[in-house]
Amino acid sequence: MTFDITTIALIGIAYLLLLFGVAYVAERGWISHRVLHHPITYIMSLGIFASAWSFYGVIDLAFQFGYGALAYYLGTGALFLFAPVAIAPLAQLARRFQIGSLADLLVFRYHSQAAGSLVTAGMVMACLPLLALQIQAVADTLQIITINSTEELPDALNDWSFREVMALAYCVLLALFTVLFGSGRDQHPGLVVAMALESLIKVVALMAIGLLAVYGVFGGLDELDQWLLDYPENLELLHQPIHDTASHTLLLVFLATAISMPHIFHMSVVENPLHKTTATLSWAFPLFLLFLALPIFPILWAGFELGVNLPAQYFTLGIPMQMNSPGFTLLAFLGGVAAATGAMVALCLALSTMLLNYWLLPATRLGRHNLYRQLLWSRRVLILLVFSAGYAFYQLLDNNYSLTHLALMAFIETLQFLPGIFAVAYWPTANSRGFIWGLCLGTLVWMVGLLLPTVFGIDHVTVPVLDKEIGLGIDYWNTITLMSLGLNVGAFVLLSLTTRTSEEERYSAELCAEDELSHPLRMILDVHSADEFATRLAKSLGEDSARKELKRALDDLNLNRNERRPYALRRLRDKLEANLSGLMGTAVASEILDRHIPYHLPEAKGTADINLIENRLTKYRSQLTGMAAELNNLRLYHRNTLEELPMAVCSLGQDLEILMWNQAMVALTDIPSETVIGSHLDDLKQPWRQLLEDFSRSPMPHLHKQQLDLGGRSHWISLHKANIASPVANSADGQVILLEDMTETQLLEQELVHSERLASVGRLAAGVAHEIGNPITGIACLAQNLKYETDDPEAAEDTAQQILSQTQRVSRIVQSLVSFSHTGQQDKIDFMTVSLRDCAEEAIALLSLQKDKTQVRFRNHIDTHLSVRADSQRLIQVFINLLSNARDASPEDSEVRLESSIEGHFAQFRVIDQGSGIPAEHQERVLEPFFTSKDPGEGTGLGLAMVYSIVEDHEGHLDILSPAPGQTLGTQISIKLPLNLESQHESGNTN
Amino acid sequence: MNNQRLLILFLLIAYIFSPTLFTWVVNPEGAWYRPYILWAILILAAFIFQRRSNSDDL
Repeated sequence: MTFDITTIALIGIAYLLLLFGVAYVAERGWISHRVLHHPITYIMSLGIFASAWSFYGVIDLAFQFGYGALAYYLGTGALFLFAPVAIAPLAQLARRFQIGSLADLLVFRYHSQAAGSLVTAGMVMACLPLLALQIQAVADTLQIITINSTEELPDALNDWSFREVMALAYCVLLALFTVLFGSGRDQHPGLVVAMALESLIKVVALMAIGLLAVYGVFGGLDELDQWLLDYPENLELLHQPIHDTASHTLLLVFLATAISMPHIFHMSVVENPLHKTTATLSWAFPLFLLFLALPIFPILWAGFELGVNLPAQYFTLGIPMQMNSPGFTLLAFLGGVAAATGAMVALCLALSTMLLNYWLLPATRLGRHNLYRQLLWSRRVLILLVFSAGYAFYQLLDNNYSLTHLALMAFIETLQFLPGIFAVAYWPTANSRGFIWGLCLGTLVWMVGLLLPTVFGIDHVTVPVLDKEIGLGIDYWNTITLMSLGLNVGAFVLLSLTTRTSEEERYSAELCAEDELSHPLRMILDVHSADEFATRLAKSLGEDSARKELKRALDDLNLNRNERRPYALRRLRDKLEANLSGLMGTAVASEILDRHIPYHLPEAKGTADINLIENRLTKYRSQLTGMAAELNNLRLYHRNTLEELPMAVCSLGQDLEILMWNQAMVALTDIPSETVIGSHLDDLKQPWRQLLEDFSRSPMPHLHKQQLDLGGRSHWISLHKANIASPVANSADGQVILLEDMTETQLLEQELVHSERLASVGRLAAGVAHEIGNPITGIACLAQNLKYETDDPEAAEDTAQQILSQTQRVSRIVQSLVSFSHTGQQDKIDFMTVSLRDCAEEAIALLSLQKDKTQVRFRNHIDTHLSVRADSQRLIQVFINLLSNARDASPEDSEVRLESSIEGHFAQFRVIDQGSGIPAEHQERVLEPFFTSKDPGEGTGLGLAMVYSIVEDHEGHLDILSPAPGQTLGTQISIKLPLNLESQHESGNTN
Repeated sequence: MNNQRLLILFLLIAYIFSPTLFTWVVNPEGAWYRPYILWAILILAAFIFQRRSNSDDL
């Protein structure tokens, strides 16, 4: 039975239109997201692995190699079975660095543009036979089902002009489809769905023909078994060739196809829509292959049984034709077309991407204007070129080779990439020199042994000297495979071990070989804002594209344009590079980025990018096992300890990048950690920036009670810091800073000072009362006298005058007590210029009122012009405390001297007494609150502590010398107060 | 890391039993679909393994 040519053409076009329709519908988003992103869709789309060769050619393979044919499925199946180990590392790598093709992966790993160009050349050569195979399969089957010629078919297969025309039409339609749905930049949902549909058709068709063979031809499984018993030579055929070495080579060759065929790589990595699919892939894809492999032998046997007058490779189509079943014939035909179409489209996409990235872009500089458009059109032209090349190669071979021969030719060349690809994930020592030479040698052997003899029809060469013939061409594929791979691996290993690897390559190798968690260095960028990226990239990409790329990268990372954190900018650069390499290949992208936004190595060694490591560890926590998981738990424990520490902690890198900002720090500063981590200290808001910057730069390990104005309220913060030892070099890797909120303590202290003042007021009150008593008595006497002096107005006036002077005395005494008991000014901003001498004088006046105490002579020698900026009340308090202590320690009638001098920027005054002095064992403790050597009830022990705190508040120093210099006894307390407190204070405000 | 250890273990077992398996598979007395049975068992094992490692994650 045959079909009319127009019917078949219409059916073919209808099928392709259906494909267009499905792709279009998916591209427009009309198919539900769940279907689109379902693992099954993706796994089916991977089915392009089974090209027309596995639909037709594999029957021929089964005929030649028996069970050996299963190697095609088992090799690939085994690779996917171990997907979590064999494919996942590559897929992760590819996803992380936006690797779009095999050439990208190899260039990324071997850091060599030459490798990229070479890989592309090798891939194009390898794919030409495969493209020719698909075209040939479609053209042959088209001819088979349109010509009713069971007798003359073998002849007709060789020379039929309309077959070429049909093949050309098919190529043109496919090229159109690929240009429309595959040339864009992002993932192509339309393409994925269309490929999935094709795989579905293909597997259904093959299974249907298999069932037809078992039940239609033999009449059931039991009958098939019986038939096999009747014709045992068929079973023999299964087992016989498996002992041949060729089967093992076959397994090796087919293993290579799964990983190094550019279209499989393209579908499994570039179009991979899901993260978790790799795990499902490990069983679902081998299952898919099982369905494909199951009908092979029944179809072969049914073909024998029916005596199909076609080569074994077309039995799939021949059986339904022989049985006169138009439905099954059409299904088989469409299955074949689907298989060929899927492989062609994916192959062309993968090849055109590689050609664009490694041949076209490095050779031509695209203009800066409208970059995307140029790229799109370049890719489209390349797709058309690849299709043309495939068709030309098909024409060149002129149908002289079977599908199996073409497939083997292609697969043996792709096998040459296998050593390099495996080394990407598993052998960090491998280097570009080894890879390039190995690949060159392997490819050369393949070209001389297989490609050229096939094209030019040579089957042997004679070695001139030895006069020995060496067989060439497809009949010797086994020897050629082993030889090319042997030379390739030998050169690769030898050169990798003996030659030096560049620094950059070693870095990439480590990135590839290790798992995701090693990316140790915190590189330095000289870019300080996201916008600067756009300005710099514009030099290469043009302003418009640069802006679009920046926006895209920012959106991907969820950052905004105002981003200034070095950590985020580093991520942004990596993202830009990844996105650009998706657009124009790893080599060109890294060249552009290196030129405009170069990374600098950090000056200090071992500057780890803590934030990045942290992020990755958090992200991949569930994947860690064993020791790594334990270490991670330990890390988490330490991290949480720091994080929950009820004290504000932050840590800074050497470049003053903020690496840690704990909860207490957030509470204290009101700055959320996510906005601050990774940023430079410069970008912190005031007043924290000033505080932390000054402190981190100062050599002092502690800084006490820094006053800050937070939300209109004064806070006092003490800071402490320590250097963090670097884990690598013997140096500091940054510092950890502890902030202590002293506000509560400060307020308590102030209250204490006030209480102490009130206590002094109480102590002074007795003296005051006594002092007031005298004038009051005087006033009383004078008032009495006044009674009798009514007739003498002069005497009365005199008495009144005396009364007035006595009351003035009283009010002066009361006034000085009142002024002393005032709280005074707490803020430095309210300090005024006060004369030290006047303050001392005031204190002396108050103390002189205490007649019940030891009477000493106060000698005030403080310079009249010496003045400081201070709170006068508190300064008087200082004098009161110091002088009363001096008086209490002094013997009767001794002298307490007050002296002053100027030392640099400080005014110094000294209180020197001739008392008993302070015993050495007490000297350390006299400044502690509540320490007193006086009898109980006499002193609170707060006097000197208060003096110390007031002096600290005034940024002064206090020194105690006992015995006083130049004396055998006595104590000298000297206090320094800054002379220029005023100017310091003002400069502090303006900062 | 765990995965690779399992892989090595699996390869060792596969290596030890490969002669027996191979003889069983290519035994001319047996059914022609024996290799497919073996294949199906492998797929089942992979499926179970994947299910288990998934539930570990949760």
